[in-house]
Amino acid sequence: MKSICDPLLIGFAWLSALTVMLVAALLMGFLLWRGLTSVDVELFFGETNWLDAVTGKAPVFGGIWPALAGTFYLVVLSSLLSIPVGIASGVYMAEYAPNRARSWLGFAVDLLAGTPSIVMGLFGFALILLLRKTLLPEAGMGLFLAACCIALLVLPYVIRTTQTALEAIPRHLRLLGPASGLSQLQTILHVLLPVAGRGILSGTILAMGRAAEDTAVILLTGVVAQAGMPRSLWDRFEALPFRIYYLAAEHQTRQQLDQGFATALVLLLLTGALFLAAFLMQRRFEKRWKIS
Amino acid sequence: MENKLAGPAIAIEELSVEFSGKIVLEGINLAILPGELTVIVGPSGSGKSTLLRAINRLNEFFPGCRTKGVIRIHFNDGWMDVYRDGAIPLPELRMRVGMVFQTPTVLPFTIKKNITMPLKVTLGMRGTGLVQRMEWALRQVALWDEVRDRLLDDAATLSGGQQQRLCLARTLALEPQILLVDEPTASLDFRAAEKIEQLLLRLKDRYTVVAVSHSLSQARRLADRLVVLREGRIVQQMNRQHLQDATIFQTLIDRVF
Repeated sequence: MKSICDPLLIGFAWLSALTVMLVAALLMGFLLWRGLTSVDVELFFGETNWLDAVTGKAPVFGGIWPALAGTFYLVVLSSLLSIPVGIASGVYMAEYAPNRARSWLGFAVDLLAGTPSIVMGLFGFALILLLRKTLLPEAGMGLFLAACCIALLVLPYVIRTTQTALEAIPRHLRLLGPASGLSQLQTILHVLLPVAGRGILSGTILAMGRAAEDTAVILLTGVVAQAGMPRSLWDRFEALPFRIYYLAAEHQTRQQLDQGFATALVLLLLTGALFLAAFLMQRRFEKRWKIS
Repeated sequence: MENKLAGPAIAIEELSVEFSGKIVLEGINLAILPGELTVIVGPSGSGKSTLLRAINRLNEFFPGCRTKGVIRIHFNDGWMDVYRDGAIPLPELRMRVGMVFQTPTVLPFTIKKNITMPLKVTLGMRGTGLVQRMEWALRQVALWDEVRDRLLDDAATLSGGQQQRLCLARTLALEPQILLVDEPTASLDFRAAEKIEQLLLRLKDRYTVVAVSHSLSQARRLADRLVVLREGRIVQQMNRQHLQDATIFQTLIDRVF
C-alpha cells in the first residue's frame, strides 16, 4: 500500500506546485501579450507632453498618470495608517493581552478580516454622511477617507502576521531579554521585534498588495473616472484598479481593452516596486539591527 | 576561605512552585555557599530547571506559576528577599543573578551586538567603556582570540560551543554576582562541553555558580556540592569528598536513577 501511496503523493505535490507556477506564468504571459504593446508614453500621459505632466504644468486627459499617482498615494497613505497600528495591535495581542482579552480581540480581528470590501466601502460612505449631518458639514469623499477605509480593510493582515511571528519565537529566546535584565518593553523592542522582522514584513506586503488592488472600497469613498492628479488629501482621485474596471466594462474598441490590459500590467509593476521597497526597507532595518 | 565563613550566598526556605495547580517543587530548603559550584541533578521532570529559575524569578513567565516560600540572596550590599514585593526591581535582580540557558540563545545580530545590546539597553553604556567591557567578557570565556577579527560577523556563524561561550560572555558582561547555568553542555559535543566545564571551574572562584546537569559524571567532575532532586524534593545533598567516594556515589546512582 505504502509503495503506491508514496509516489502518488509525491506526484500530486509536484503537480500542485507546477500548477501554481503554470497559472502565474500564464497570467503574466497573457498580460504581457495583450498589454505590452499598449504600454507607451501615450498610455500614461495621453496627448499631454510627459515633462509637463510629471512636473504638474499641464493636466493629463486620457492617460493613466493621475490614476498611477492616486493608487501610489492611496497605498502609501493606507500603509502609514495601518502598519504602525497593526504592528502595535499584534504586539499587544501576543505580549500583553490577558487570555480573555486575547480571544475577544482575536474574534474582532477575524471578523474584520472577513468583512467584504464593499461593506467597508459602505461604512466609509455612511461615515461621511453622518459626519456631514453632525460635526463636519464640509466633509466629503476623497483620498483620506478612502485610505482610512482601506487601512481598516488591511489591518487584520498586519495584526495577525505580527502576532503569529511573535508567538512563533521559541521560549529560550523569549526568556533571554528578561534574563539579561531587560524590561518587557525593552525585550519587545530589542529582542522580539528584530527576531520577528521577516514575518512582519510578509504581513505588510500582503497588506500593501491588498490596498493596491481593492476597487470596491474606493468606489464608494472617493474614486472617480476623470479627477486628474489628486490635489489634496480631501480631493477625489483616480486609481488604477478602478481605471481597469472602467476600461474593461465600458470599452468600445479593442484598442481600449488592450489599454486596460496595459494598465493592469502597470498596476502589477507598481505593486511589485512597492513590495521591493518594503523588502529593501526591512533589510536596511535588519542590517542596522544586526550591527548597532 | 573567608567567603565561606560569611554564610550562604543564597538561602532557600520552604520553597514550593506550582504551574497551573501542578506542584513541581515542594518544601525546598537549601543553602548555597559563595565560592562553591553547586550542581543540581535529578531525573527529567524532577524540577531542576524550575529550582534554578526560581532564584531569578524567571518562572513567572510560565503560565499559572505560583511560588511560595522565601529566597534570600546575599549581594554585596546586603541581604535581599527576592520574593518580597518592592525589595528589588526584577530587571536588576536578573542582572545581578545572570543566567545561561541549555540551548545557545544567540540573537540574530553580530557577535559584537550580542554582547553590547543588553549593556546599552540596561546600563546605558556607550563608547570605549562599552568596547572594553565587551573585550573583557570575551576574554573571560576564552573567546576573544577566536572572534576578535570577526566581531561584525553574524553570531549564528559561530560553532555551537562558541555560541554557548558567547552567551556566557553576554551574561558575565553584565557583572552578575551569581551565575545560574541550565544544562549548558546538553547540546554540545564532547570537546566543546569540556571547554565549558573548564570555564565553569575557573569562574566559581569569582561567582557563586549554580548549575543544572543532566549527567552524573559531569556533576561529579564539577560539583563542590551536589543536590539531588526527585519529584520536586531534595532527596540528597553531597559534598566533594562524598562524591569522590566510589561506593557512596554508586549507591546514589542506584537510588536516584
